[in-house]
Amino acid sequence: MMLQMQDLAGTTPPRSDPWPISRRIGLGLLALLAAFALLGPVLVTADPARQDLSASLAPIGSDFLLGADHYGRSMLARLAYGARLSFGMALLTMLSAAAPGLLLGVLAAWRGGVTERALVALSDIVLALPGLLLVLLLLAFAPGHFLPLYLGLSLSLWVEFFRVARTTTARLLVEPRIEASRLLGFGTFYILRHQVLPEIAPLLLTLASFAMGTAILAISTLSAISVGLQPPTPELGSMIVELLPYYDEAPLTVLMPGILIFLLVLGLQLTARGGTVR
Amino acid sequence: MTSALRIEDLTIRTADRILVSGFSATVGRGEPLTLLGESGSGKSLVAQAIMGTLPPGLLASGRILFDGADLLCLDEVARRSLWGRRIGLLPQEPWTALDPTMRAGGQLAEVHRYVHGRHDADGLAAAGLGEVGLADAGGHYPFQMSGGMCQRLALAIAHAADTPLLLADEPSKGLDGVLRADVVARLQREIAAGRLLLTITHDVALARVLGGTACVMLDGQAVEAGPTVRLLNAPAHSYTRALIDADPSAWPPRTPREPGPSVIEAMGLAKAFGRRRLFTDLDVQVRAGEIVAVVGPSGSGKTTLGNILVGTERPDRGRVRRVPGAAPLGFQKLYQDPPAAFVPHQTMGRALDHLARRHGVDRERVEELLARLKLAPGLRKQRPGELSGGELQRFALARVLLLDPVFLFADEATSRLDPVNQMEVAGLLRESSEQDGLAILFVTHDTVMAERIADRSITLQQ
Amino acid sequence: MTRLLLGRLVQAALVALVVGGLCFALVRVLPGDAAFRIAADRYGPDALTAQAAEAVRQELGLDRPWPELLLRWFGELAQGHLGNSLVSGEPVSEELASQLGPSLWLAASALVLSLLIGLPLGLVSGLRAGSGLDRLALIGAVALRALPPFVLGLVLMLVFSIRLEWLPPAGYGTWREMALPSLTLALGLAAVSSRVARDAVAAVGATTYYRFARLKGLPERAVLVRHGLRNAAIPVITYLGLQAVYLIEGVVVVESLFAYPGIGHALVHAVIARDVPMVQGAALVMGLMFVLLNLGVDLLCRLLDPRLGAGR
Repeated sequence: MMLQMQDLAGTTPPRSDPWPISRRIGLGLLALLAAFALLGPVLVTADPARQDLSASLAPIGSDFLLGADHYGRSMLARLAYGARLSFGMALLTMLSAAAPGLLLGVLAAWRGGVTERALVALSDIVLALPGLLLVLLLLAFAPGHFLPLYLGLSLSLWVEFFRVARTTTARLLVEPRIEASRLLGFGTFYILRHQVLPEIAPLLLTLASFAMGTAILAISTLSAISVGLQPPTPELGSMIVELLPYYDEAPLTVLMPGILIFLLVLGLQLTARGGTVR
Repeated sequence: MTSALRIEDLTIRTADRILVSGFSATVGRGEPLTLLGESGSGKSLVAQAIMGTLPPGLLASGRILFDGADLLCLDEVARRSLWGRRIGLLPQEPWTALDPTMRAGGQLAEVHRYVHGRHDADGLAAAGLGEVGLADAGGHYPFQMSGGMCQRLALAIAHAADTPLLLADEPSKGLDGVLRADVVARLQREIAAGRLLLTITHDVALARVLGGTACVMLDGQAVEAGPTVRLLNAPAHSYTRALIDADPSAWPPRTPREPGPSVIEAMGLAKAFGRRRLFTDLDVQVRAGEIVAVVGPSGSGKTTLGNILVGTERPDRGRVRRVPGAAPLGFQKLYQDPPAAFVPHQTMGRALDHLARRHGVDRERVEELLARLKLAPGLRKQRPGELSGGELQRFALARVLLLDPVFLFADEATSRLDPVNQMEVAGLLRESSEQDGLAILFVTHDTVMAERIADRSITLQQ
Repeated sequence: MTRLLLGRLVQAALVALVVGGLCFALVRVLPGDAAFRIAADRYGPDALTAQAAEAVRQELGLDRPWPELLLRWFGELAQGHLGNSLVSGEPVSEELASQLGPSLWLAASALVLSLLIGLPLGLVSGLRAGSGLDRLALIGAVALRALPPFVLGLVLMLVFSIRLEWLPPAGYGTWREMALPSLTLALGLAAVSSRVARDAVAAVGATTYYRFARLKGLPERAVLVRHGLRNAAIPVITYLGLQAVYLIEGVVVVESLFAYPGIGHALVHAVIARDVPMVQGAALVMGLMFVLLNLGVDLLCRLLDPRLGAGR
């Protein structure tokens, strides 16, 4: 997917500090956005679907804190719900991609042989096509629906977790220290727990952030080209397209969902920058 | 032609620490200088100060007189104009200093063409390659060349530059017997041609054959200096003596002793990697209390043989028979690169605790062993990255001995250690074989060391 | 070499397998009687008759057991028969042929433009790693990467078409129509390639062999040209393989956004209309373009890095 290709470029050579400044800023930004998404609607109690045509395109700071869209719906409510939707879906897809990806990756490297070849072939099938094409094909089954979008994204995102877990584990397994542990009588579980896991764990935050960033970009992009989630769902990508005709009257309102996507992905990317994936 | 390089009262410091203090020495024509010392002794810093490549943040004071100028006072441009014209470098481990994507001929020809502006650079390069016995290797990339070939290419490059002053950085590092002699012969030819040679090494034997003057460095200070022969034959400083004694050629020979019963036997072993056959029909037997050395050039299968004996690799043919009744964990291994054999985030104490708990060894036994291996209790709080190679290798020996092994495969276990540490670890191995009756397979590329430490040797051919 | 070609051939086969298999499944699971629905799509609900539906059923052979249908489906695919569009009724291959040109132009111009922007910027940033320029380039790249391509495209459109009225917001024909879609893609690609180039240059600059080239006495220019550029180019080219993902995905998105008459645009439309033959054909061509791009990258890498050529 769009971000996978960027993960390697974004990571500079191994660094010892797992909490560099960019990661701190990224997490801070994400915390602010989460607060907005969760608390925003509670504080102003607005319904993202309630229309008030008399307030169409109301400016910022009027009755509506962040203005209103062309149907007079509260932008703040819609943005908050949009952020919640994007972040929630991204979190869900990431989790459903990470769990099998990591387990299968470690399994493939550990078992080797047929198991590994079969799993690698499986990942090759997914990687044969760019991720977005795969999601598009699945969306053809039910355009505008949540399920194919979720399945397609998870399906294309698990590969990155698998790949990193497998190469990291494989690299570890040839290290003398694993052989030494075996010779010293330690079992598989001990080695996984004390030698493999501690090496993969620091990569997790990076991988997870990238996967979520990718998912957010893909969801908004697909919705913007009318195959993802459809209006009136307050989805950030489709909101932009919906509002685009009113650019002359309310340019800021049009840009707001775009800025929100930008901040979400920026926060995730900055968070990802600390770790090293290679 | 310049007649000398004079270093006067050279001091190198960081903001808060002195790394080299008050170092003075002279390199004259026909009078090469060899700086002897272990890593961290400051000898490389001296070379960097001469070259003008000290890392940023280091300050050098004193004088380095060469060509009538003080090298420490030169600006960036003036310094660079000396490289390849007045001062040449023979880099250490030249295989890392060669461009991996350029053919050997090109890497030599560019010295003639771009540095000296000579016509017929390619012809000169071909001749230069022929001189070092690489006539056919001009079209090879570094990855297609052996370590020895890379070293000779580096020598050809240094020779082509024909600088009055040549710095040789650990020229014998990573090379075994024959290749080492070859490098020495070529360096001696450069001396005979009137070039000033400054060599940095921890290799006492190399210093001895190069002759000239030697200077022993310890913790940033020259502890002793003088004519090499005299200095090595009659050292005045205790560290010089330790350094000389640590050279394998000076180790006391092993007293012949009656070996015990056979601990491990292998018969008719054969192993090949793809087309490359390592050995066929090889028989090996190691008996209790015996040290058997395995020598041979790199790539001859020494490590593979040891791995087959401890069971981490399988032979293509043949079989391994262990002494009946020996515990499965009684066959152990020491690794070449000590840090790679430890879990980086585990402290030594934790690693030992896990091991002791797993095998029900009591604490006193651990303490006893650590004391015997001269490992201070304070070291238990350290992680592998914070310990020296020698300390780590002793910890590795400790954790192995905790399991009461009958057989130990030491895979180049001392090759990455400083001379003094190397001798200590080798001594501990010898002690274990004598006291505990441990059978040891000692893999090394150093024939002299093999001769000194082992009861007998197996030689593998390429 | 054979191995390399074989690997990409397998990938091409996998593309056909995935696309063909999914499209077959799509036909099977579409709700209602597929024949009726397709006939309605094709002739309009008013002209829908049982005969028309039967004709479609015959044409698509929808009455056979599914394993046989699947085999026949792949058989057709193997022979290059892509069928007719359910929307326009035209042969899919003809539609694709007319859309391929615009898509290739867009992809090629975006790639070239991205290298023209990314490589010089990366080289300068890498040679002056840690400088103000390097940091500025980093901030720019991070910001660009956080921007979805469609938002970037919209911003460019708003600025250059609507505010400044310099360039048309949609269409195809001259370079003027291609400028904005191409720039949208190129900026996204350059955001990455500039950083890859920067890291590669900085990494090569820190190698022993690069420092040794200086110590040999070579002038700085010769050091850079002879030992720097080729070694730094290797990771950059390798990375282009990963950028192919972005390029193909970007083509789909950007074409849809700028109503650009390429295959990506056609694919999205076909997905919305559930025009299965068209979805299959368009996805197949995009997938094969991706495979070809990867093959090109493989060959370039091998040309630059002698270590890859020597079979171990």
